[in-house]
Amino acid sequence: MIDVQHLTKTYGTFKAVDDFSFRVDEGEVVGLIGPNGAGKTSTLRCIVGIQAPSAGTITLGGHDIVKAPVDAKRRLAFMADEPQLFDYLTVMEHLRLTARLYRVRDVESRAKVLLAELQLTGKENALPAELSRGMKQKVAIACGLLHDPQALLFDEPLTGLDPLGIRHMKETIVSRGRGGAAVIVSSHLLHLVEEICTRIVIIDHGVKIADGTLDELKARPELAAAGSTLEQIFLTATAGEP
Amino acid sequence: MVDAFVYLTTCSMKNRLRRRLQRLREPRYLVGLVVGLLYMYFMVFRRSGRPRPAGLSAIAAFAGPLQFVGSLFLLATAAVAWVWPGAGQPVAFSRAEVQFLFPAPVTRRELVHFKLLRSQLGILIGSAIATFFLRPGSLASGWTLMAGLWVMLMAVRLHLMGVALRRASLAAHGASGLARQWLPLGVVLGALGALAAVVAGDWQTLASLPGAGEVFTELQRLGSRGAAGAVLWPFRAFARLPLSASVPEFWSALPAALVLLALNYAWVLRSDAAFEEASAEHAEKRATARRAPRAVVRGTASTPFTLAAEGPPETAILWKNLILVGRYVSLRTLLRLLPIIIALGIIAQGQGGSGVASFLAAVCLPFAAFTVLLGPQMMRNDLRQDLANLALLKTWPVRGAALIRGEVLAPTVVVSVVAWLFILLGSLLAPRPASPGRTVAVLMANRASFATAAAILAPAIILSQTVVQNALAVLFPAWVTVGPSRPRGIDAMGQRLLMLAGILLTLAASLLPGTLIAGVVALAVYWITGATLVILPALIVALVVVGECWLAVEGLGRVLERTDVSAIDAVE
Repeated sequence: MIDVQHLTKTYGTFKAVDDFSFRVDEGEVVGLIGPNGAGKTSTLRCIVGIQAPSAGTITLGGHDIVKAPVDAKRRLAFMADEPQLFDYLTVMEHLRLTARLYRVRDVESRAKVLLAELQLTGKENALPAELSRGMKQKVAIACGLLHDPQALLFDEPLTGLDPLGIRHMKETIVSRGRGGAAVIVSSHLLHLVEEICTRIVIIDHGVKIADGTLDELKARPELAAAGSTLEQIFLTATAGEP
Repeated sequence: MVDAFVYLTTCSMKNRLRRRLQRLREPRYLVGLVVGLLYMYFMVFRRSGRPRPAGLSAIAAFAGPLQFVGSLFLLATAAVAWVWPGAGQPVAFSRAEVQFLFPAPVTRRELVHFKLLRSQLGILIGSAIATFFLRPGSLASGWTLMAGLWVMLMAVRLHLMGVALRRASLAAHGASGLARQWLPLGVVLGALGALAAVVAGDWQTLASLPGAGEVFTELQRLGSRGAAGAVLWPFRAFARLPLSASVPEFWSALPAALVLLALNYAWVLRSDAAFEEASAEHAEKRATARRAPRAVVRGTASTPFTLAAEGPPETAILWKNLILVGRYVSLRTLLRLLPIIIALGIIAQGQGGSGVASFLAAVCLPFAAFTVLLGPQMMRNDLRQDLANLALLKTWPVRGAALIRGEVLAPTVVVSVVAWLFILLGSLLAPRPASPGRTVAVLMANRASFATAAAILAPAIILSQTVVQNALAVLFPAWVTVGPSRPRGIDAMGQRLLMLAGILLTLAASLLPGTLIAGVVALAVYWITGATLVILPALIVALVVVGECWLAVEGLGRVLERTDVSAIDAVE
């Protein structure tokens, strides 16, 4: 579903992502982890078309994000770490706008279900200024899920959520994966990645360090000793700890 | 503690200056600086070179009336701060100041001192710039003007801070606060009451005077004696300083002003108001407003139209941007336009118009021109506003050209409707021609034709400018201000002038092809039939401009699709 091949992204002379390739198939939940400045956000932004790749190809459901951006974007949803909402649209108006842009017909019924799922019922007419950060995050997620995307990308999805919200968010991510969507979760919360992801990709200095299920990573002797946790694997892989 | 405040202030000043100098490495600021300096040279120095009338300077010639107006202005400033609901802003601190200074072992008095220290630089620069632009006749009147302005603005600053502290105390303590603050409140209300009583007592005389000049002279006379004179005395004491007719007058006015300044200072320091919470809340609101595209959303008014489930994305973006207009326009926004309307009205009446209808008609026409030419620069509910959300916009499954088309529609629609309104009112309310018989009907028909032509041309001109503005946002995003914060300085001013010149030049270029075609058609029709066409040429110009805009948007859309968000915001 999501196919990234030889992705390179440079800013001036700085190479943020260097020849990075990986795939996410339907039903997979892939954890993209790496230290600060590893190139995670640049990778996600290239995948969703916010930034143009300097080299390489990215396809979503067979549609190249550079050559056929409209068809590719119709299939995906990107939930950024900082929710971006329009200050002057209410929650429901955000959903109506999204529905129109993504050609969702039954917006009212879908919105009702999503708002209930994300505990936003009763906030339909609220403006972003009247919402907490966590609620804004939920509105952004509701907009992202409205068109039932086949590819979902989450950048630090738990930021700003309360414990109940965290639980619901985990359930949402897992259920979308089980429903057949290809999901990428970028996070520094390794326990979250360990808990919900079916596969893990480690990136550092823009380069892929490791790619596999947790068991596969544990089986690699250069990364993990017997009984290693993801945290230990991560620190070894990124040379944070010998 | 003062040394810490001095350190903070000087470091901030030094770094701000360094940053201003550093940004000159960017061509846009360097070019802007050159343009800004040239503008100032031509506006100030070249004007200074012109022969000036001999004798006293303008200030000396009109010292009395100017001082009276100045004292009234100061009184109004103080009264508004006390009486107007919501005018009493808490003592303003930035978020960083709140975070660093409020938890620090610093007394309230020291915080007040810090704010006074920080305000000095702004007041000094403001006084210097005002002196620079007012260009007093001699060096002596130059320094008295600057020093006088500095003392006066310092007093205003101190007084407003005192009012803010008193209002904070009133808000915190309710009725008991009123008991503690009865004296200043009583003085303000008593002073306003005394002025009203003096004017009411002299009302018959004022009403019988033939002109505004005589009324002003009478008011000046009233304000210089009796109760009104006493009420205005402290304000006149400050107004006299910068508006002194001579250096000796400045020195004679200085002691009273300094005593009043000292009294204000003592009054501010005596305050025991706990302003921290209100200031912290205010700092948060200001920071939020800076991040937001505009200041504050006014509420969830109804949407401009119901967004259908299906249709082109342009309509959805238009719908979104029109919502913004309804939610930001407030009574305050409309009130801000009032002085312009009054000023235009006075100018129109001064030019011989009579009657309410002709006055309104005379006001409407310049307003229509103002709306068409400057409206697109003021109405920013398009890509200029949405540039801050570009990361989100780029995830939408919408072609770049469709996105830009949707973005430029809202300001075009809003500004066009306003322009149409002024054109319609102007043509309907203009006085009926005085010619007899059939000529009146012909002239009225001509007027209708010209109004229709103007109504056809207006949206095209507005669209063209809006497209240019959005093109700048796409092609040179670094040149466009994202959100409400605007860079300051001569370089930034030059940048804005340069952009305005570029926009007007592009507008002229976009009108040229259509005008040429329309001109040829109109000439041909005139030669063949003898008829002078107005509406058809306007329609041709409008259609050509719309066609140009369509092509431009298609090209811009491709650029937008390739635009890297990292050109606009920070990346990881």
